Amino acid sequence: MRSETKILGGVLIFSLVLIMGAVFLLNQGGSSKEVKGEKTFAIDYSKGQKIGSDSAKVKLVEFSDFQCPACKAAEPEVKQVLAKYKNDLQFIYRHFPLPQHKNGRAAATLAEAAGEKNKFWEMHEKLFNNQEGWSVLPDPTSYFLDLAGSIDLDKDQVKKALENKPYEGKINEDVAEGQVLGVNSTPTFFVNGKKLKLQSFSDLDTAISDELKK
Amino acid sequence: MEKLFNRAIFFLSLIGLLISVFLFYEYSLSGPMVCPLGGGCDIVRSSPYSSFLGISIPIWGIGFYLSLAILSVFRLGKLQLMLALCGFAFGLYLTFLEAFVIGAFCFWCVLSFIISFVILICAVKLKF
Repeated sequence: MRSETKILGGVLIFSLVLIMGAVFLLNQGGSSKEVKGEKTFAIDYSKGQKIGSDSAKVKLVEFSDFQCPACKAAEPEVKQVLAKYKNDLQFIYRHFPLPQHKNGRAAATLAEAAGEKNKFWEMHEKLFNNQEGWSVLPDPTSYFLDLAGSIDLDKDQVKKALENKPYEGKINEDVAEGQVLGVNSTPTFFVNGKKLKLQSFSDLDTAISDELKK
Repeated sequence: MEKLFNRAIFFLSLIGLLISVFLFYEYSLSGPMVCPLGGGCDIVRSSPYSSFLGISIPIWGIGFYLSLAILSVFRLGKLQLMLALCGFAFGLYLTFLEAFVIGAFCFWCVLSFIISFVILICAVKLKF
């Protein structure tokens, strides 16, 4: 065997061991950290789409983007805590469409248009369930109209809303408040004004149950 | 001179391998926890083009760079060139998708494409 072969072979094996070690360590790390931030932010609870009573003990606010895959990934956990803490929890959805998500804003408009007919949450579910379908479209309008049709909304009204963007002000207010609160990624959750630092989505449950014990 | 090109291919393959492993970790193991403000990678990642023949692109990358590194250890010039050519062509296709279909670029994917291009040049020089 040539010495060059031995050297390169040795370097390769050494590198592979290092890489595998690094991946292993990354997977191990990051457990048992504080879930909630120290600071309590003053959030305007009059805004946003809500599930649950205004007098609920815990308010869970999510700044979210319909085109964000991580927001979609958080959905099952959100549903789970809503079912678990039914009477003690109010969930508030605030818009934070990220600029790189080209269809996120139109999706927010669509959800708000559905909200006019008390179907925000139905559309919310439709949008997340079909995220892969509409995210990559250059123009999602016809896809969105089909979604609207599937929950019996008037397609013409929805089309008008998508064209005239009547909820732009509302969405901008949400984004502006998110920025004041230091939201720089989605989903960002607040439990009674405390910003969550999630290691996994199951930390949502932990944060809420902690708040209820108080 | 030949030795130099072979070493260049070898070390570039290691860098490519590192990028692929990192992307694989990001794609598959850590799970999508957040979408950062202003990121292009998560659009590319969430697009239907983030896997090929049912296997996620970073795994193809790992296979490509690992094979290339092994071929370089044994200096199998002809095979190195063939593989480098396939890798470059595939990278070209993916970068085309990013530019014209997905409409977003992922820094790491583009970096990997550039590396595959330099590897191809070295492989050509090695053989001719």
